[in-house]
Amino acid sequence: MLLLKRLFEYRELLYIFTWRHFTVRYRNTALGIVWAIIQPLVMMFLFTFLFTYVLKTGTGDIPKEVFFYASLLPWTFFSSSINYSTSSLVGNYGIITKIYFPREILPLSGILVAVIDLLIASVIYLFLLIIFKITLTFNVLWIIPIFILLFIFTMSCSFIFSCLNVYYRDVGLLTRFVVRLLFFASPVLYSIDSLSLKLKLLLFFNPLTFIIENMRRCVLEQRGVVLWQFAFAATLVIILFFFAHKLFIKTEKDFADVI
Amino acid sequence: MDKENLVELKNIWKKYKIIGKFKKSLRESISSFFKEKEEIEDDEFWALEDINLTLKKGECISIYGPNGSGKTTILKLISSITYPTKGEINIKGKVAPLISLGAGFHNDLTGRENILTNGSILGMSIKEIKEKEESIIEFSELDRKFIDMPVRKYSTGMNTRLGFSVAVHSTAEIILLDEILAVGDEKFREKCHEKIKELKETKSIILVSHHMDIVRSIVDRIVYIKKGKIVEEEEIKKESRQN
Ligand SMILES: Nc1ncnc2c1ncn2[C@@H]1O[C@H](COP(=O)(O)OP(=O)(O)O)[C@@H](O)[C@H]1O
Ligand SMILES: [Mg+2]
Repeated sequence: MLLLKRLFEYRELLYIFTWRHFTVRYRNTALGIVWAIIQPLVMMFLFTFLFTYVLKTGTGDIPKEVFFYASLLPWTFFSSSINYSTSSLVGNYGIITKIYFPREILPLSGILVAVIDLLIASVIYLFLLIIFKITLTFNVLWIIPIFILLFIFTMSCSFIFSCLNVYYRDVGLLTRFVVRLLFFASPVLYSIDSLSLKLKLLLFFNPLTFIIENMRRCVLEQRGVVLWQFAFAATLVIILFFFAHKLFIKTEKDFADVI
Repeated sequence: MDKENLVELKNIWKKYKIIGKFKKSLRESISSFFKEKEEIEDDEFWALEDINLTLKKGECISIYGPNGSGKTTILKLISSITYPTKGEINIKGKVAPLISLGAGFHNDLTGRENILTNGSILGMSIKEIKEKEESIIEFSELDRKFIDMPVRKYSTGMNTRLGFSVAVHSTAEIILLDEILAVGDEKFREKCHEKIKELKETKSIILVSHHMDIVRSIVDRIVYIKKGKIVEEEEIKKESRQN
């Protein structure tokens, strides 16, 4: 793959940027990496409260706490990656105009930090699984290919948004809005099982629908993944990735001139 | 490409946009995205016109000209930060463009951590940086007690010293220095000049500086540039170099 080829020579730089971003983020904070847990945890409590006392809709047999936490993990990964990476090129103006390296490194290092955050926040997930006595089966392993899909999807969106933001700063504002819309168009608060078939089919064009729904199912409901659905989501994501990376490379040469 | 040449610029033209004159509509920018035009339009100008330049192995040259004449643009082209509109560029070897010192320095990181980031950005491997760390700190003459403090607490001079120090430890064969000779106090400046003369022995250098006397004492050749065109080239004879 072109991306890997481009990055191979610069893998240490990618590592350094990730380390730098991670260190800078948590330095001089009293709570440090606990912040990685706070966001999904607070949201989880908020949703649990809302859906227990205000809206009173259920999440089936699954305790609300685990249900929401399970969907908030991939969602938080996606949204914080996008929020960071959209401004990653514009924000590193000083480096871009002074030195060459494959520019993908900038958005990517933000996504890798989000991976670290996700891993930290997953510790709480494990506790929740134990507290609510969820038994796991081998279907849990599905989480790995689905996460890879999520990673590629997030990367594609980051490439598109970050490079367009170099030309039009509107993109930064637009993405915040798009991310908020996507939150409701993805099964974070609900399960698609409860939707009509038409709506289900429509939502399946958002790869996050498949990703979030199945990351939750394979752990909490011990269900496997429907193969054709996986194939469909994977195809969408891969096509998007090739388009996104092409756009990124095509525009990369102009970054230093127009930024 | 000539065997001896590390850098070759052949008939290089570089076009820039005058941003802010008027913003293109989305439709126009999409159409120009797919077409590479070679003429200039109202909102564009030639920053470089028909530049031919070579840097041989072991050579040290200077590009000299007034502000805005295109010196930095030439260095950016050589280091692939930007690309020519027309013409051909050949580069052999690793380039360390010191267009400014301390690229990627972050205020919240310590001096030591910034050495790592900056060195890596300049193309050094983590292993190389760790090996050279002591020598980098030594050269910068920074007080040891500051090296593990965030650079936010450094004075500007200390910052540039550290930046310069990392830069001269770069492993690249081709070194581009853009108006960074005037760093630090007089004593440190003197040291920088000595260091550049020392680097000349092993590397090929392009030096941009407005200090003509310093330039003359260091380089082999001066290329004069004016409004994006090379107007004159002057060989500096070794004997005439005052030391
Ligand atoms: N990204 C850019 N967009 C538009 N014009 C630029 C850009 N970079 C440089 N220029 C213009 O190109 C000319 C040459 O700039 P530069 O190479 O920085 O000059 P020097 O380094 O000799 O002072 C200047 O007129 C400058 O304004
Ligand atoms: Mg300049």
